[in-house]
Amino acid sequence: MFEILYNYWDLLLLGQYPSGPLGGLSITLILSLLGLGLAFPVSILLALARISPMPAVRIPATVVVYVVRGIPLIMVIFWVYFFLPLLIGRTITGFTTMLCTLVIYQSAYLSEVIRAGIEALPKGQIEASRALGLGYFRTLRFVILPQALYNMMPSMISQFVSTIKETSLGYVINVPEITFAANQVNNQLLTQPLAVFSILALVYFLLCFSFTELADYIERRITRKREGKHKKIKSAKPAKSGYIAMSTATVSKENS
Amino acid sequence: MIIFTDVNKWYGSYHALVNVNAQVKRGQVVVVCGPSGSGKSTLIRTVNRLEDIQDGQIAFDGQDVNAAGLDLNRFRARVGFVFQQFNLFPHLSVLENIILSPTRVNGLKRNLAKEKALILLERVGLSSKADSYPGQLSGGQQQRVAIARALAMDPPAMLFDEPTSALDPEMVGEVLNVMKSLARDGMTMMCVTHEMGFAREVADQVWFMDAGVILEKSEPEKFFTHPEHPRAQRFLSDLRSH
Repeated sequence: MFEILYNYWDLLLLGQYPSGPLGGLSITLILSLLGLGLAFPVSILLALARISPMPAVRIPATVVVYVVRGIPLIMVIFWVYFFLPLLIGRTITGFTTMLCTLVIYQSAYLSEVIRAGIEALPKGQIEASRALGLGYFRTLRFVILPQALYNMMPSMISQFVSTIKETSLGYVINVPEITFAANQVNNQLLTQPLAVFSILALVYFLLCFSFTELADYIERRITRKREGKHKKIKSAKPAKSGYIAMSTATVSKENS
Repeated sequence: MIIFTDVNKWYGSYHALVNVNAQVKRGQVVVVCGPSGSGKSTLIRTVNRLEDIQDGQIAFDGQDVNAAGLDLNRFRARVGFVFQQFNLFPHLSVLENIILSPTRVNGLKRNLAKEKALILLERVGLSSKADSYPGQLSGGQQQRVAIARALAMDPPAMLFDEPTSALDPEMVGEVLNVMKSLARDGMTMMCVTHEMGFAREVADQVWFMDAGVILEKSEPEKFFTHPEHPRAQRFLSDLRSH
């Protein structure tokens, strides 16, 4: 195993680079980061649309989220792979295909995380902000999102871990990520699949495990912070119907 | 300052406010009391349109609250509102809570807003807590910050929706003291509260509500000694029996 690592580390880490395209672990990471980074703003918009009081906005967003969550990732890959080129009239690389797929897939899941984060905030937060004269967007920007996103950080890191694992499916459309690279190594060696794929599994595991640990750490910190607060202000807990969605709060009635 | 004219509100078929006609004059302190579910909170929340009304008119400082072309955010920024649950923003420091609206809605410069916030914090006795976070404060301190936050927009009148109901008993006094000093400074105030001592001491008028109707409007002395309406008599004797 060490010998394989020693001989092929550059292929596993960088693919053909610098003589060919970048690949291996670096592409896996770039895909994951870009995928989640681009999915993030999309998912905020989707989450807001999902809790919008306007049916014309809410219903399409809900349909999109449910459809994407209801089909396997590989289906989305095929759809993007075959139909996006038809739609825009030119071919696209495997990398772009995979990136689009990840953005579509992850924004659906991430939007649900963010929606939950927004809906978990006490209704009084929105009311207080609106009563101070902050409109819908200012309330979102200065009051709701900072709290919701902070509270949801552990879940978002978990989503990132999923994204890392999902990039491995890029293999089927020849994205030269690390699974693809490992397979190349395997094809050259022919006799040591167990060792090669053990290395691959180990790389994924170490990567994902460290992010999961990070998520746990952040979650513990947030919990500690909350407990510290609640000990001091027991009386500040909402007395009645404290938690409702932004959509059903005062927002719906106004012409902000 | 605040004028309710034939105000009616329904939640579905439930008649929450029934033909409310009342007026808070400039500089007056009005205490609204009554049993729970009587519509007190609903009434006070209609003034800055946290609740809409279906019929009638409300004027705040000469402005028709439900006028079609009203810039709701600018209007609300001028109405000081204090909630039962304080509703401070836990992710912002005390100072940031106070300057949020002045800087973001009124476009006041940050350092000017800060100066003003510090003066207000001194007024509510919390200068030392400017950089604390709401989670580090007691309920009474949080509510005093909430009052400072509402004052930061120079409201012509302040609305209090059961400001002491969520507080532990030993913290009620500090909040009432801030409210009393506001009243003495001539602030127009409308308070929904069960603090009858406060009503007796600073109110110019007490409104007694039941089932969405203002049954009685009288001076506190008269209200507490000779309430006219039988429902008010029962309410007061219930209060005293505790």
